[in-house]
Amino acid sequence: MEPILRFRNVTKNYPNGVHALQNVSFTVEEGEFISVIGPSGSGKSTLLRAINRLIPISKGDVYLDGQAVSQLRGKALRDMRHKVGMIFQNYNLVYSLSVLQNVLHGRLGYMSGPKGIFGLYSEQDKQAALDLLEEMGMKQYSYNRASDLSGGQKQRVGIARAINQNPKLLLCDEPIASLDPSSAKTIMDLLHDMTRKRNIACIVNLHQLDVALKYSTRIIGLSKGEIVFDGPPQELTQKEIEKIYGTGCENLMIGGAADESKQDSLDCA
Amino acid sequence: MKANRIPLIAREQKKLYTWFLVIAVALFAAATVFTQFNPLSLLANGEAFWSFLTEDFFPPALPAGEKIPGIFSSVAVTLALAMSSTAIAAIFAFLVSLFGSEKISPFPKFAKVVRGFATFLRNIPALVWAFILFSSLGIGTGVGFVALCITSFAFMVRAFVETMEDVSQDCIESLSAVGATFPQRVSQAILPSCLSGFLSWFLYCIEVNIRASTIVGMVGGGGVGLTLFSYIKSFQYDIALSIILLIAVMVIVVDQITAKLRKELGK
Amino acid sequence: MNDLSLENSRMAAGVSGKTKRIPVACKDKNRTLAWFLLGTAVLTVLSLLYLQIDWGKLLSRVPDIGTVFWKLAHLDFSKMDLIGSSLLETVSIAVLSLLYSLVLGILFGMLAAKNVFRKPLLSTIVQSFFTFLRAVPTPIWVLLMLVCLGMGPEAGVAGLCVHTTAFFTRSFAQSFESIPEETIEALEATGTTRLSIFCNAILPGSLSQIVAWVGMRLETNFSECAILGMVGAGGVGFVISSSLQGYDYGTAGTAILLVFAIAYLIERIFVQIKKKFNS
Repeated sequence: MEPILRFRNVTKNYPNGVHALQNVSFTVEEGEFISVIGPSGSGKSTLLRAINRLIPISKGDVYLDGQAVSQLRGKALRDMRHKVGMIFQNYNLVYSLSVLQNVLHGRLGYMSGPKGIFGLYSEQDKQAALDLLEEMGMKQYSYNRASDLSGGQKQRVGIARAINQNPKLLLCDEPIASLDPSSAKTIMDLLHDMTRKRNIACIVNLHQLDVALKYSTRIIGLSKGEIVFDGPPQELTQKEIEKIYGTGCENLMIGGAADESKQDSLDCA
Repeated sequence: MKANRIPLIAREQKKLYTWFLVIAVALFAAATVFTQFNPLSLLANGEAFWSFLTEDFFPPALPAGEKIPGIFSSVAVTLALAMSSTAIAAIFAFLVSLFGSEKISPFPKFAKVVRGFATFLRNIPALVWAFILFSSLGIGTGVGFVALCITSFAFMVRAFVETMEDVSQDCIESLSAVGATFPQRVSQAILPSCLSGFLSWFLYCIEVNIRASTIVGMVGGGGVGLTLFSYIKSFQYDIALSIILLIAVMVIVVDQITAKLRKELGK
Repeated sequence: MNDLSLENSRMAAGVSGKTKRIPVACKDKNRTLAWFLLGTAVLTVLSLLYLQIDWGKLLSRVPDIGTVFWKLAHLDFSKMDLIGSSLLETVSIAVLSLLYSLVLGILFGMLAAKNVFRKPLLSTIVQSFFTFLRAVPTPIWVLLMLVCLGMGPEAGVAGLCVHTTAFFTRSFAQSFESIPEETIEALEATGTTRLSIFCNAILPGSLSQIVAWVGMRLETNFSECAILGMVGAGGVGFVISSSLQGYDYGTAGTAILLVFAIAYLIERIFVQIKKKFNS
């Protein structure tokens, strides 16, 4: 079966001479939950944005659902994009609109012409969005302004918007980096459950090693734009971590000394 | 299906927006009926419009050679008028605005009176002032100067009072606690903390006054406005276009300079 | 004892202060400020000299201002119907030009903002064209429209629209561009068209700013409109200027007072609306 996503020798050079991705190749199968880890500037963000072409790549090929992404233009590109949901560190909602309107933005990709422009959503879409909000425990906020929500609630709206797209693949760009630990757990649980239930493949950029170990079925380690580790969490040994971050695990914890159990809140910078 | 449509936004908000829309449409309809304004008539006149543009207006022409220095000196008059009236008005506005805020003024009871006076001056357009003054002082550059002074003075009083109330409450309080006198509070707390805000408004006022002084000139204040008016009145539209371009250049250059200065002073 | 020694040291400082002053200001002063103030002062003096205003004559006539105001204060309501209808015309022209320009401004602002269609060349062309239109004062546009279209409200509306549209185009484009890039990216990622992104994210996101701009502009448009009559178009300005020139001060006074009242009313109303929208 064709994988959902295939990267083949992808390279991205920015005009300022930064090599963000170098010869990156991997595939993503249905139902996988992949964490991408690596130090700041290792190309995690670029990797995600290369998938839905928010950033055009310099060399290589990205295939989404068997389709070459880099060739797409206009309508075809937008059709591809609504197969891919995206979640952001800063939620990126339109704060002056209601929560429901923000969730419905996920449907805009499916609507054409004046309907999309004036935001005339169908009743089914609206009902589906309300159901989704209920599933996430956000129904009572449906008619609040997005600006009135707390950080964790905003991120839930962000997830609802992405899920409402009916995507095959979900891209999460550091979804919990701006949240407190307890909201972060809620969000990660929610992400995990929602994608499992709907069989959506999920790629998450993370700074928190412990979170990656806990939730993912597979971990990709990036360093200086190259994949240096690709495998299940069990195989991620101290040595591999050192290779990714260029430093020992004991330096990755604010506290200093290494703890035996990796479940403790490691806060890798 | 229509009866139980799912709303997108909260009901109160929807009500607010609906009201605004209704009011806007009602105003639009009333105004259109009253003035008999038909936007299509503009389109119907399109041909006349076009022929005016191509035949009378374009290309811009230069006036007779001996008149060119006169035009440039009239531009200089307009610039000088704007500059001097704004600067003089700013000095007065600063002095008066000190008495316009309850928190700063030594006579808090009169603060309202001062602000009300400024509001009255400000809400009457500069050109109306010019006409009132023309009928008492006669036509001339000096009267244009006074008319511009009045409106920019009133504008800056409001702007200065707001700046002072925004910026310097805390430090005024602390200086009052030290036991400083009113002039001491002004020179040691208000001026240092508000000066850049004042100057930013001053620069904005210069931009406004460049345009206003052109207009005041048209009705008798002298300067480039008067020159333009006389060419339009004598149907020399191609020369008028050159002067309009000149005015545009003048305004854009001044805007650029003030924008740069504002950035420099804000550092 | 301590007090005494402090006093002593102060005395000593006072003595030594004669030879070497202790600075109190910050070391890195903003030199631009001093130069700016100096430059302004010099320019102002030069301007005043250049204008050659006859101050003596001007001051000698100052008492006349009092007389004129005294005459203006004797309000004359006998021509109320003329004042009323001309005032209504002025308000109508202001409102119409504002609404038409609002629509045009959103349209052109969309083209002028760099983040909507991402065509920098188009944005630059639109922006520079409207910068030119904006740089020429409104009454000049109205005068030209009068020449084109003849007397009547059409010339007023069209002339006011030129400047107002240009103003809105720039201010709206600025508001649109202040929408965070990430928000737009989020909608881009859902596969939405650019026009749809504009209508669903950028426009609602800048609505409160648009309301503020419109309120500010209605004030300006009304006062611009009130003076249009003075350069030859109709409306209340014509009534004011003609009755002043015909020494009918009572009527002029009434008209001026009404202009003030309406301008003040508009200002108050929009202070309230802004509060509502920001809450």
